[in-house]
Amino acid sequence: MKSVLTFLIIVLCFVSINRADDAKYLAAMKKNFAQMDSMKTIDDMVDLTNAFLRIANAEKDKWLPYYYASQLCVLSSFTDSVKRKKDEYLDEADKFLAIADSLQPNESEIFVLKGFICQARLQVDPMSRYMKYGFQMNENFEKAIALDPTNPRPEYLKGVTLFYTPEQFGGGAKVAKPVLEASLKKFNEFIPKNDLMPHWGKQQVEDFLKQIP
Amino acid sequence: MIIKRYGLLVCFLFLPILISAQTKISGKIIDSNGNALPGANIYIKNSYDGTTSKTDGTFSFKTTENGSAVLVASFVGYKKYENNVVLKKGELKIDIVLEEEITQMNAVVVSAGSFEASDEKKGVILKPLDVVTTGATADLYTSLNTLPGAQKIGETEGLFVRGGSAAESKTIIDEMIVQKPFSSSVPDIPSRGRFSPMMFKGTVFSTGGYSAQYGQALSSALILKTQDMPTQTISAINLMVFGLGGAHTQLWENSAVSVEGGYYNLNPYNNVFKQRVDWDKSPVGISGSANFRQKISKNGLLKAFVSYSKSDLSLYLPDLDNLPNKTFYGLKPENYYSNASYRDIWGDWNVFGGFSYSLDKDIINAAGNNIEQDQRLVQTKFTANKKIIGNAYLTFGAEVQNTLYDDTYNQFNRKLYETHTAGFVESDIYFTNDLAAKVGVRAEHSKILDKFNFAPRISFAYRLGTYDQLNFAYGRFYQTPEKNYLVQYNKFDYENADHYIANYQYLGEGQTFRVELYYKQYHNLVRGTVYNYPYFNLPVVPFSNNGNGYAKGVDVFWRDGASLQNCDYWVSYSFIDTKRIFSNYPSTAFPTFAAPHTFSVVFKRWFESISAFAALTYVHASGRPYFNPNNPEFLGDRGSSYNNLSLNISFIAKWFGGYSVIFFSIDNLPGFANVYGYRYSTDGKIVAPVVPPTLRSAFLGVFISIGETNQFQ
Repeated sequence: MKSVLTFLIIVLCFVSINRADDAKYLAAMKKNFAQMDSMKTIDDMVDLTNAFLRIANAEKDKWLPYYYASQLCVLSSFTDSVKRKKDEYLDEADKFLAIADSLQPNESEIFVLKGFICQARLQVDPMSRYMKYGFQMNENFEKAIALDPTNPRPEYLKGVTLFYTPEQFGGGAKVAKPVLEASLKKFNEFIPKNDLMPHWGKQQVEDFLKQIP
Repeated sequence: MIIKRYGLLVCFLFLPILISAQTKISGKIIDSNGNALPGANIYIKNSYDGTTSKTDGTFSFKTTENGSAVLVASFVGYKKYENNVVLKKGELKIDIVLEEEITQMNAVVVSAGSFEASDEKKGVILKPLDVVTTGATADLYTSLNTLPGAQKIGETEGLFVRGGSAAESKTIIDEMIVQKPFSSSVPDIPSRGRFSPMMFKGTVFSTGGYSAQYGQALSSALILKTQDMPTQTISAINLMVFGLGGAHTQLWENSAVSVEGGYYNLNPYNNVFKQRVDWDKSPVGISGSANFRQKISKNGLLKAFVSYSKSDLSLYLPDLDNLPNKTFYGLKPENYYSNASYRDIWGDWNVFGGFSYSLDKDIINAAGNNIEQDQRLVQTKFTANKKIIGNAYLTFGAEVQNTLYDDTYNQFNRKLYETHTAGFVESDIYFTNDLAAKVGVRAEHSKILDKFNFAPRISFAYRLGTYDQLNFAYGRFYQTPEKNYLVQYNKFDYENADHYIANYQYLGEGQTFRVELYYKQYHNLVRGTVYNYPYFNLPVVPFSNNGNGYAKGVDVFWRDGASLQNCDYWVSYSFIDTKRIFSNYPSTAFPTFAAPHTFSVVFKRWFESISAFAALTYVHASGRPYFNPNNPEFLGDRGSSYNNLSLNISFIAKWFGGYSVIFFSIDNLPGFANVYGYRYSTDGKIVAPVVPPTLRSAFLGVFISIGETNQFQ
């Protein structure tokens, strides 16, 4: 009986330690999320990327810190005006996302980000990268949809690409509109599995739709 | 007891303070040259505590961790720093020096002597798309002619590089040599390159100092890499003013097949555009090709390519000795090329194996004489590459080429069997990210010459700043004499050339500048008079390897795709001074296939509103020497300068759910009266200019894709 009690106490201790660790992890992630909402410059993005990587290094089995570090690298790539740096950020984004992918295989959100990286690569040199990255981007979005048909982000990014594609290449605001609307509909119904799961995109979809008459 | 009881409480009371006993860590992070590194991640291992270094490299953060810990600093392009520290209440000052990580990715690219077009590699000057959209003819070789170092020679096909003849350039597809990259041509009318530029994802045009992986080219190597797996199942219909064609690509999960075929007949076209050539039969031909791709493993890709073409043409050439008589010249070339290659990664090794087979047949009727020339080439090759000690990569390989040359002139027949064996070892060494070298050696053996050769190659690159670098190269290059000489004489030796190259290159954001100085020394060039060579009224030169020569000059290249919106242009200038004695030259002379000054401009613009892409190409070359029997100085006459302005426009249209391209081009838009040279009668009294077959030429083609899915929907 006593040993059972000791065992229970030990178990309880571990659980509480784990809970404490979880709470620390949750708090650190949420603190970074708050900063993501207010970041403006590339320096802010690099700082946050590093913050997520520190969590990633301490929490070896968690994929989300790598996911957000990767996403921030993509955002840095879009923000930086120096062409060769754009690709360097994306090389980093690829590296972190590959780790996330190995920790959490077949995750729809990871495929969304893979497609997002392709979109950023494409944007560096659309004329010559259209063939390769246009195709890869689409493949990743299709995979993301197949893994989770309720995920609103693949349609959001597809809609944005269409929005910026010239009309003669099958793009334009008109073509983008139904895709963005479909995305918004999914955003309204989408419930992330937990607080730490990706939640970006809804505001942007609404902003894009406001621009389209 | 009380103390014991309250002791626990005291402990609990002080616990938060004990836990929050913070250490402040601060310092500065720099590289080994003392430069501040902003953006580095500095943290305590296995904790969340850390920070990012500021613009001046300083950092400061607090940690609640206690006791011994590991301080980590990481930054892209640098080796990770780890240091044991003891954390106790107070401040810890640590300055960190990060060592640069030497990797192929960060290091300078050795690029002396070469122009590379690729989407995948960094440090390239051109994109594959640039190759496709330059010049009036969508021909690979035409667009290479807008780069410095290549000569503009209008009357015959081939790459004439830095004072070298066309025979001194070799074309290599997927590591395998192409025996004849052009089909044969009739006098003074060049043929086009046999391979579509659309096939290739990477092009390296070396104007000298190329790698030990390749040989048998005294001047230049054109190294082409074909596309890997296609991305979609698609069909295409090509309609052109002088012909039609079709293509289909079928894609499966791990394999793909593409087939392409075409038919052309220049007769209607030649009736519309006034011809300066007296055609008996305007060129008619068929061509076909097939590509096969199979993914064998994660990195293993098997590629196979087959191409066949056959044409028929004949014309009358003015007989200057018996005017107004004419000489009949008929040509039926037939070309077959196939290659198969496999590339994979086995552990640390990058391996490649390949096989190629070329068969080129020409049937010529020259003034009633029947000439038949058959050439066969079978080649096998392997290479292996591995990272060895430190920051050095080793590549080695070997190849065997078996050639059969069968030449029939009326009842006379001559055959030539050659086995060429070669091996090479090459190392890419990165001393630092700013200093790299490529050191190699190639050994070859020719059965027909019964001789070995041994060719060292070395090149260096040194990075001066973020955007610019210096390159140096030295190399020795050997070539077996051409077959038309080998069938006549059996005591030839290799011809050889030494290249010395120095260049400065600036690769900025959308802007490129490159200036290259070179000196090329030729030794043991083949001399002798063969039956089918011009200037037949010159004294007969006996066969020997006594020829020699040199070429020296400067090539300048400027490209700007950033300053003007939707515009991109490049400017090339070449100056060359060259002299040689070879072939049937009685004395040393400036050869007929080089112009002292060559200048070209390519200007491209994308018109978004009409989805059209337009390119203007202007080429100017100063006059080249030509043979005049009345001038006692051999090749003492210089022709007039060459000028050409060509325009091409591609409209992109959306038909049948796919993208179609309407391509229109005009060559020599202003109608410059270009003369390539002059031909004389034997007595030197009658002279006829060598001119392009038409003053201007135009091309219209519609390329329709069917079944292409919109990439973005």
